[in-house]
Order: sequence, then C-alpha cells, then structure tokens
Amino acid sequence: MNEPLAPFLEVRPEGLYCPAFDAAIDPPVAARRAIVSHAHTDHAAPGHEEVWGTRETIAVYRRRNPEWTGEAREIGYGERLEENGVTVELYPAGHVLGSAQVYFERDGRSLLYTGDFKRRLSRTAVPAAAPPAGILATESTFGLPVFRFPPTEVLEERLVAACHRAFEEKKTPILLVYAFGKAQEVALALTRAGIPSVLHGAAWKLLPDFEAAGHPFPMSRAYETGPAQAGEALLVPPYCARTPIVRNVKRRRIVYLSGWAVREASRADFDAEVLIPWSDHADFPELLAHVADVAPEKVVTMHGYSRDLARILAARGVDAEPLATARERLSEDPATAGDPGEGT
Amino acid sequence: MTAYRELAETLEEVARERGKLAKIERLAETLGRLEGEELRASARLASGSPFAEWEQAVTSVGWVTVAKAASEVTGWDLETIGACAAAIGDLGEAVGLLLTEEPPDAMSISEVDARLRELARERKAAAKQKAVEAMLRRSSPAEGKYLVKTLSGGLRIGADVTTVEEAIAQAFGADREAVARAHRDCGDIGETAVAAREGTLSEIRFRLFHPIGFMLATPIETAEEVTSELPLFAAEDKYDGIRAHAHKSGSRVSLFSRTLDDVTAQFPEVAESLAKLPGSFLLDGEILAWRDGRPESFFRLQRRLGRKAPEPGLLAEIPVAFMAYDCLARDGRPLFEEEWTARRRELEAISPDLLVSPVHRAETPSELDTLFDAARERGNEGLMLKRRDSGYQAGKRGRAWRKYKKALATLDVVVTAVQQGNGKRAGMLSDYTFAVRDGDRFVNIGKAYSGLTDEEIRKMGTHFRRITTARYGPVRAVAPEVVLEISFDSIQKSARHKSGFALRFPRIVRLRPDKRPHEVDTLQTVAEVYAKLIGQTGRGA
Repeated sequence: MNEPLAPFLEVRPEGLYCPAFDAAIDPPVAARRAIVSHAHTDHAAPGHEEVWGTRETIAVYRRRNPEWTGEAREIGYGERLEENGVTVELYPAGHVLGSAQVYFERDGRSLLYTGDFKRRLSRTAVPAAAPPAGILATESTFGLPVFRFPPTEVLEERLVAACHRAFEEKKTPILLVYAFGKAQEVALALTRAGIPSVLHGAAWKLLPDFEAAGHPFPMSRAYETGPAQAGEALLVPPYCARTPIVRNVKRRRIVYLSGWAVREASRADFDAEVLIPWSDHADFPELLAHVADVAPEKVVTMHGYSRDLARILAARGVDAEPLATARERLSEDPATAGDPGEGT
Repeated sequence: MTAYRELAETLEEVARERGKLAKIERLAETLGRLEGEELRASARLASGSPFAEWEQAVTSVGWVTVAKAASEVTGWDLETIGACAAAIGDLGEAVGLLLTEEPPDAMSISEVDARLRELARERKAAAKQKAVEAMLRRSSPAEGKYLVKTLSGGLRIGADVTTVEEAIAQAFGADREAVARAHRDCGDIGETAVAAREGTLSEIRFRLFHPIGFMLATPIETAEEVTSELPLFAAEDKYDGIRAHAHKSGSRVSLFSRTLDDVTAQFPEVAESLAKLPGSFLLDGEILAWRDGRPESFFRLQRRLGRKAPEPGLLAEIPVAFMAYDCLARDGRPLFEEEWTARRRELEAISPDLLVSPVHRAETPSELDTLFDAARERGNEGLMLKRRDSGYQAGKRGRAWRKYKKALATLDVVVTAVQQGNGKRAGMLSDYTFAVRDGDRFVNIGKAYSGLTDEEIRKMGTHFRRITTARYGPVRAVAPEVVLEISFDSIQKSARHKSGFALRFPRIVRLRPDKRPHEVDTLQTVAEVYAKLIGQTGRGA
C-alpha cells in the first residue's frame, strides 16, 4: 500500500494516525488519543479519551463540549515531546486562536502537518510559521487559482463600510460568520471602528477564552440580552441565514464573510447583499508560498481541492499527490461537495 | 467613446444590488449617459446579447472554446480552468477571478460590439477561439467576466428584459408601456433605447418576420383556484407540441420557436400549407405530430426536432400540423393590445383551411374538470385558460393565461452531471444528475437512469463529453445546458441534494431542446408540489 506520509503517519480509512505516539491526528470520530490542531468541530470531534493540543485549543474544546470528561495534555508552541524515537512539536498556524501545525521529526527526516492555516494577518491567532520539512501534509481547501483573498486590512475596511451603509439605510447589518474564530475577529474589527456588536450564543460563549488571551470585547453583548438595536451589528453563524434570528430583523443587510464569498452564488445561498471573501484559510497564493517556504521533497494535499492543487504543484515540478481517504473522496463527489467546513 | 469596462462595471453593480428598483436605477444611470450606436449596443449587451432578437444571430461559441481561450490567456491548463468553473459555478465568474490585470488598452463598447458580431460570423472553432483570446487579453476582471457570460448566453445579474425596459424608460423619461410596446414591435431593445432617447418611440411600427416573445401562462394546480374568475376565461386544450409563432405575408412564411429560433426549414409542410392561406398574419400556435385529425404523442414529434431539413421518408412517417390559437397581427394591423375575443374573431376569419384550436367554456370547477378529462382523453396535456378581456403580453408570464396540468405531471430540469452506467450500459453516460432553478443557480434534485434509447444516450454522451466542466472519477460535471422533462412518483425531503428535496423514482420522459436552462422549473415549484403532497397524504412523505 502507498504510504506517502511514512514513517510518521499512516493513512487509515478514518484519517491520519501516528503510530509512534499511538495518536490519531484531527480524527473525525471519537478516538482514544487525539492530537487536535485546533478546536473547529471538523477537526476536534467530541468524545476523545485523550486530547493533545495547545492550551487555547483545549480550553475552547472544553467549552464546546461541557460534558467532556477525557484527559487533556497541553502542549505549548515550541515544546518538544519524544516517543519511540519520534519528536513532535506544535507550530503556530495563524488560523484561529490556539491553532497549530504539527511537526514530526526522526533521524533528520521531518513532516509538517498544517491542519488549517493562513498566512494573512490574524488579530487573535499567532502568525503561521513555515519550518522546513521533508514532507508537507498541507490543507488545500482553496487549492484553485480562483481563490485569492485581499489582505485583512482591506477586508476589515469593507466590513466597516458595509455596516455603515446599513446604518445609513436604517438597517441592521447581519454578519454571517463562523462561531469560533471569525466571529471574534469580526467583533474586534468592529470594536476598533466603534461599532457595537450583538453575538449569537455560539460565538458569545467563547469570549472568555479570547479574553484570557488578551482580547477584550468592550462593545459586544449576547443576543440573549435582546435583539440588535439601531447602530448595532448582529453576528450569527451562516446556518442561521434563514432562521428566525435573522428573519425577525425586518430591515436587514446580510453580509456573508467567507472564502466561498468569491462565488456570486453565495448571494442566493445566504440571501446576502454583501459578499466579503474573509477566510481563516490560506488562499491559493498562500498555499503556494507555504510550499515554497517549507521547501519539502514531497507534498500531500488534503481537504477541498486536493486533487487540483496536487496536479498544479506537480505541473510545477513538485512531487505532490492528494491524500486518498474515504473522507477526501466524499468531498469530491459533486452531489455532496460544496458543504464548506467550519472556519472557511 | 465609452469603454466597455464602464458597462461591465455597471453590470457588476447591477448584479450586486438586491432590489429591482436599485438595479433599474443603476442601469438607467449608465444608459442615460449614452447615445447612438453606443446606446444601441449597450442596451442589447445589458440584455445579454450583442444582437437584436430579430437578427436571429448567436455568437455560438461553445463552452470548451471559451475555456481554451481562457486557458491561453491566463496560462492555466484546461483542466484547472474547468475545475475553477465548477468550483465557482460559472465560467464567466471564474475567468473574471483568474484575470488579474487591468490592461491599459481598453476596448470601447463599439469595438466589443463589432468583435462579437464578427465572432458570430466566424465558422471555425479555432478562429473563434483566437477571437475570444484577443478580447480576453485586453480585458479587466469585470470585462472578462461579462464577455464570457455574454458568450455563454446569460448574464445572470437578476435583470430580465423588463428591468432593461424600465431602465430605458427611467433614463430617458419615457413611458414604461410605450417602451415595452416599441420593444415588442421592433424586436430590438437597442433600437428601442435609441428611440426612447430621441422621443420617437411612437414611430416604431410592428414588422412581420421579426421574432416576438411568447405570452406565457401561470400554472394552477386545482380548478378551485380560479373559481371566481371562471366565467371570464376561455378554455382550450393544452397541446403537447412545439409552441411556435407563424409569420406569413404573400407566399413567405417563417416559424419561430419559443427560443426565437427560426424552425421553418424543419417543418416544410407547415410553411407550405400556411403559404396557401390568404392575407398576411402572425399566429401563435402549436406544431403537433398529426395523423387522422388527431394529435400524436410528443415522443413521435421529437424525432422531427433538431433536423435542418427532414428527408421525405420522415415527412411521410411523422406528419405534422400547425394548430393555431391566437392571431397577433393581420393584414398589417398589430392586434397585441386587442382583447382575446377580438383576436379570436380575426383568427377564425382567416380561412376555413386553417386548423384552429376549439374553444370551450366552463362555469364551475367541476365543469372545468370534465373539460380537463376530455382534453386528456383527446391525447392532450390539460387545459389552457385565457382571459377573454386580456391583451397579448409578448414575452411575459402573467395571470391572464393559466395552464392546468395534472399535479405531479412532470418537471423540467437541467442536467448538471453524468455518470457511466452499469451492466448493459457500462461505459455509456447513462445516469444523469439533474437540477431545478433556485434564483440564479441550479440545485440538484435527483438522479435518473436514462429512459432514452441506447442511440440517444450515445448521441447525448458525445455532447456531454464536450460540455464536461470537471471530472470526478466516473462522474462528469457538465455545463448546465441540456433540459429534460422528468416524471416521478413522489417528492421527499432529503439532505442528499442541495435542493433539500429528492424525487422518488424519477424517469426521463423526453429531451426538451426547445427549452433553455433558465426555463426549467424552480425550487419554489418543487416546494409547492411537495406541500401539496403532504396535504394529500396527511403525513411527511
């Protein structure tokens, strides 16, 4: 069997597994021991017996799974663990608060697993590192050249402008943002612009973890305390676009913030008036830049447009192949594709 | 000279506006600044084509030709272009996203117009591709996006022809109705815009042999829906054929299909028999497979479609006839504004040799249902109800005409993906995934094993290979072009498809080459049929 990630990781039907640490990497189902790159639900399934991750990742994991009784092992960026001759180290991924890339090393050979990452400015995540590695297992959510996102500062300007136009039209800006990561970054950008925000409970409950990391939210309040008033922006997850929390706002201007917002079709998908391609993922140029900086001998692509990115890299002389797991194949079936993961 | 870039930016802003009024205002602002040839071209381009409807021209550049041109200009291989188009859901948008520069040498609106017209005259695919490349090399992202959309036959900016008509009226302070009438009569939104600017709308006269939009009907599900209006309606059988307008003057006859294509050569016996009738006229009616004074199934008529000139054997095997049901102009006088009753009088007065659809009357829902059953008995689809006091609203779907088909009869859908079959049909692209329309996008609703013959499947397979936009193992995503009519047993809620619904036992009834992708049924219709089913069975299906 083809083992592109050997000797560090095995490709199993349910995902990646590290034999040296007897740990699954970001397993989609409950595992005995899981190394979790970040606390988005598509990487941090509930119910693991043991979770290894950064302090922030574990804090958010606990808060999102209050019933969880498993064991946690906090690992700081730069801390090195060794088992069976393999060392593991977490590097910042720039994706969301606490997000990490996982670096494996043995006898001078190395593998970098990016998890989800981005290289653009984040206000809450530690900037992504790009340590040189022999094998790069990279995400490829936006692995096609149509996906190019403007710098964070430009996106923040567009966000503020969209809110001001809504206020001028006596409308409530409704910002469709994922509950963990984007919601808080957007609330912080609004705070800097002097715009108060009302947060859906899923995003609100995570604020203490951001405050613990030094990000206060003096101009935000919970939706539970009452609907948005004039001059306030309402932040809800995208799946709420057609639910009463949005529908009950009679005068509204819906803003969809996601990498998928480059598609005009998302206007209809979310009833959105404004599309802002604000993503926590690397865009296509960032994916290429990461490959260039990590300078691996081999690249394995996973998630999203993995086949396309691998083909494009191969055409540029990079030894690249898509990861072939059942989950990856599922995401390529046009009948089920297009269901973006959390944080896109 | 105005740059095409400016028009493209306008279209982009129109697309971004959600409200119809804001769209009209934005478009009016740009059209109001233009005049002459630039105005003529811009009004047409804003409606999606460089040509007037009467010109009967299309740029006819295939998806693959455009994709190859985009590949040459952007440097991305064809497979990546296809993957990008599939990811974004629209080739034009994808090309816009792949273009990064604003070339300094911007094209004027007139230059783009001239180049698109030249493209239509060009016959060779390779030369067409070169011409598209030349345009894309000088395109900004917005220009590239709207050029490709124009070549692909739809801007999808949420502005239909009525929106453009209203923008023209607003731009030049003209009366909306006057703009719509002039547009209908001259068959050219460009000429209409120029006339509106110059205050000469009233000088535009109806001309025969320019294709005119068809008046469309709003469906009803039950006779009770129209109880109170019933006495105002005339009822006719709803025929299962090809809707057509017949223009006739002297011995000249032209037949135009619903897509405004000239189909005269396909039905020589119809043209011949109409040419023998006295006077000049424009008729609305249906081309039917016809034998022994009765309509035959659409299945048989289908064999006459898509052939430039049918051979004598086929003419004898499947004879057709034109069933007239409306008269829109007669002996130089347009009748669009006349009430149906008056138009019907004109229709019946043309000649006893003209086949005219019989008219029935129903005063109560139960009488209507009796008529419905009789129509089905005669081999027709159902009933058409037409307000006796209504004018002919060309190109519009209104409530003055209603169509009464059996609930759950069929849905028109567009094919979005194809897959190789198993067993006997292994290696053939026999399984179709299809979608209905939801606003500007298509959402999948089911997948069916083809009900078509092996030969049809093979023929379709060649076509599907040509319009493939991406490959996923055995599955090919295809450009949404092929329209099918499907029947099914039931509708269920389903998370499997993006539409949120799945059809139970869908079967392909027939190909619908006479329908364009944007004319397929909507998600709304599916939801309504579903709601009705729930009501009937009293439980979630």
